[in-house]
Amino acid sequence: PSPTFTAAPPQPPAPKPAAASIMRPLDEKETTMVFEKLFKFTGPNLKHLLERPSVEGPDPEPGRYCLRLHKNRVFYASESLVRRATAVSRTRLAGVGTPIGKFTHGGAFHLTVHALDLLAAHARRRIWLKPDTERSFLFGNSVPKSALARITENTKSGDGVVVMSMADVPLGFGVAARGAQDCRKADTNAVVVLHQSDAGEYLRKEEELM
Amino acid sequence: MGKSSKKNKVILAPPLPPDVDDEDILVSDEDVDFVEENREHVHLITGLNRKALDKVVTRVPDHDEDKVELLYEERERKRRAALALKPKDDDDLEVDPVDALPVKTLQGELLYRTAKRARSEDKAKGAESRSDDKDADAKQSSQKECKGRSNKKEDSKLQNVQRPLEVPKEKLHSVVLEEVKEELSADELFEKKKAQLAELGMAMLEDPESNIRSLNDLLIICNDTDQRVVKLAIMSLLAVFRDIIPSYRIRQLTEKELAVEVSKEVKKTRYYEYTLIRSYKAYLQKLISLEKQPYFYLVAVRCLCSLLDAAPHFNHRESLLASVVKNLSSSNDVARKLCSEAIRSLFRNEGKHRGEATVEAVRLVSASVKLNDCQLHPDVVEVCLSLKFDEDLGKDESKEEKLKPKKNKRYQNRDVTKPSEKKKIKKELLSKARQEVHADLRAVSFTLDPKEKKMIQRETLAALFETYFRILKHSMNTSNSRYKATSVFPGGSHPLLAPCLEGLGKFSHLIDLDFMSELIACLKKLSGYTDHQGEIPPDNTLSVSERLQCCIVAFKVWRSNLEALNVDLQDFFVQFYNLILEYRPDRDHGEVLADALKTLLWEGKQQDMLRAAAFIKRLATFALSFGSTEAIAALITLRHLLQKNTKCRNMLENDAGGGSLSSLVAKYDPEAKDPYLSGALATVLWELSLLQKHHDETVSGMASNILSMANLNATQNPVQLSSSNPLEAYKDLSMGRELSKPTHKVSQTLKCKRKRRSKEFVALSTDVLEKADCTVGEDELREKLQSHFAVLRGISENERLRTELNHALSSINMYKEYKKQKKFLCKIQLLHP
Repeated sequence: PSPTFTAAPPQPPAPKPAAASIMRPLDEKETTMVFEKLFKFTGPNLKHLLERPSVEGPDPEPGRYCLRLHKNRVFYASESLVRRATAVSRTRLAGVGTPIGKFTHGGAFHLTVHALDLLAAHARRRIWLKPDTERSFLFGNSVPKSALARITENTKSGDGVVVMSMADVPLGFGVAARGAQDCRKADTNAVVVLHQSDAGEYLRKEEELM
Repeated sequence: MGKSSKKNKVILAPPLPPDVDDEDILVSDEDVDFVEENREHVHLITGLNRKALDKVVTRVPDHDEDKVELLYEERERKRRAALALKPKDDDDLEVDPVDALPVKTLQGELLYRTAKRARSEDKAKGAESRSDDKDADAKQSSQKECKGRSNKKEDSKLQNVQRPLEVPKEKLHSVVLEEVKEELSADELFEKKKAQLAELGMAMLEDPESNIRSLNDLLIICNDTDQRVVKLAIMSLLAVFRDIIPSYRIRQLTEKELAVEVSKEVKKTRYYEYTLIRSYKAYLQKLISLEKQPYFYLVAVRCLCSLLDAAPHFNHRESLLASVVKNLSSSNDVARKLCSEAIRSLFRNEGKHRGEATVEAVRLVSASVKLNDCQLHPDVVEVCLSLKFDEDLGKDESKEEKLKPKKNKRYQNRDVTKPSEKKKIKKELLSKARQEVHADLRAVSFTLDPKEKKMIQRETLAALFETYFRILKHSMNTSNSRYKATSVFPGGSHPLLAPCLEGLGKFSHLIDLDFMSELIACLKKLSGYTDHQGEIPPDNTLSVSERLQCCIVAFKVWRSNLEALNVDLQDFFVQFYNLILEYRPDRDHGEVLADALKTLLWEGKQQDMLRAAAFIKRLATFALSFGSTEAIAALITLRHLLQKNTKCRNMLENDAGGGSLSSLVAKYDPEAKDPYLSGALATVLWELSLLQKHHDETVSGMASNILSMANLNATQNPVQLSSSNPLEAYKDLSMGRELSKPTHKVSQTLKCKRKRRSKEFVALSTDVLEKADCTVGEDELREKLQSHFAVLRGISENERLRTELNHALSSINMYKEYKKQKKFLCKIQLLHP
């Protein structure tokens, strides 16, 4: 009897400010938006992402992971954590589990840098940066071809890619501007990955993230 | 005689019958009686004046007596001279001139039949050549037929002359001949034919130019009713053709050339060439028709192959090639081998035919693959592996072209600076002459212009890849539609896939980059990779080895083409990760697996940590579960991975959990489909300590070597035991096993026993072992076997009962379900009447 995201019970459309304050499962439209974003990165691994046995929480059987919306942010948390979080008053609850993204005022969903670890473990396409170009990416710039050390085969333009350092540390993620095939022919300054988020944001946008 | 009289326009009377003495005439009694009876009429005979009669008979009308007399005298003289000239041989028994008509030869001589002599000559010749033939036939080659052919030449020359002589004789003695023929047994006839073949063949080899006509005779013998004779005939023709085919191609003469008057010698050569081509063609047709008969099949194929080997440059190559390529997929092993050898040698010796035949052969292969819908024997495609291409073929010629105009400019500049007209003209003349000489040289010599060579190679390559891609496409289509062809050839429903993949791997550096993405996608599909891992994998008809080979080929293709851009073939790694589990030592080729380990993991530049860890763990498990050859390959790869990924050495510590490195997966999942999600870093390589006790020294040594890594710094590497790669190690070890097998002479079961027991058993000599083997009584053995089979029977019985039980249970369940539904329906009907 687990209230999973897929079979979210139909809720009466609540007024927006109220919906922002309480913690609730995502409705159908929101779920689709979040899943579409995640699918770009993980592909079929999305299933693993949501069905893996959880490791958080004090329960002997913590159950699985689920997505919750709280204050326009989407959280990825184990069921046992969510159950415990209900004890905290809605206004005082800062967050539960891992935040993975937020809904903007315009209603669009953005992944935030918090989701990096999750994405890095399940992503299908990665690129590796040359060591001396990592800094430029961490400052929020896109990845030019000259910075590219390695790329997963069959990357296509528009796919989500996780950017890694050569030591296999995830640095951030973005959207591929051109596929692995086109990279070969491209100019050295041509952009390969469009920047979306990077680990440097923890310093640059500290207030925004919390 | 007649000629001289004709010159004088005088027709002389035929000569009188020779004078006969009165004593020589025998008078019969009847005649005497007759004369006695008619005495009154006798005076008429007695009154006959012989001289007067002769005069009347021999008189020539309207001519002078003297002149006629002179002519007669002349005739008499000539006759005597002719008689004197004739050799007075004792054997030369002249047939009575009255009996048979003389024959005038082409030289104008009159010949009388010399029946007896001819016959005796024939006999002598037959005996001689028969003895020759025996050893010649034994070796099936006419090159030995050199001795005793001095008189053959004249014979064949005279043949034309003598043939008309024999015709009347045969008519006369036809009855006799028939009897003789019946008397001659079939064997003798065979011997005779053999002798004839040998004669003709030797004559041909001795002087092909003048004896070219006897090719026809040989061809006629090919139509003999006796099958053995036909076999011999085509073999000897093969030998003849192999020897006399010139090293150039004979082209059709143009009409213009035909119209021009040529010298005698040229005419002779032309005639020779014409006959050669015609009979060669006839021979080929004969071979191709004989090929359809099962009795001649092998011989015909052999002839075709060796002809192709000997004369790939000669006319009618197309039909020759076509039939050889067709036989590449024959069901007969010997024929197939012959054909593939012939084609391979064709590819290897391109100097013989300037590479043109190669293109044709590859095209034919491509066509046959297309025609047969890829259901052919693997040999068809395998021959293409021996193709050779130049290394720089793949590169563009644009560089050369860019260089050329520069050079020209420089030359032009030079010319401008030296405007002396005379020199210019001289130079032009010189260059013109040089060009002409070059053109002539090229026409004569067999070497190709580099540009032409490139053209030919390019065409070959295009045809080759067309074949390969067709095969790939075909195997993809069929595996998708789950269509299983009942194939007669080995290798399941895709007999051609294995050699095709091999070829792709070999020629991977020549593939155009534009095909690359499609090719990789195709290979990925074939290797069984699906985007949806949760689903049941599709019913893939390819074997594990084939799928492994797909992975290898993909890696090779990328590696040889995209050195500059480092691409990570993640999907293939995932596929390989899963294929390791599916490997079974007896069913699949261990060598392919070792090759895959080498190409994917050992040669790969970088691995990410998670993936490397997953592979390390899986390889350790793998090494534990299979034989020592597979284990050593896996361990070598494992060590290499550990050396490169120092962080993964945590797995060697005796502390599970992996700490922060284990990422999101806290527990190792040995059956994970994705190496990233297996959580291998959270586990320990306990397999290695077990492997240290492996019975094979190399494996145990390698395992302890790897374990020693744990005590070293991250930058340090242990001492290398051997620098060989997994594939080499695999081969070495399997070779060593093969070699050591016969020396042991211990049965397989005993080996296992020995392994299980302690070391002391190993110390026993083989003799003791054998003795121990003998002491086991037969009764004991029988008992054991009985009990074993009883257990087996019990198991099968159990299985059967289980299935029955399952069946019954499911039917009960279904009945319950049915009842429920019925109730439900009833309720509904009650609620809504």
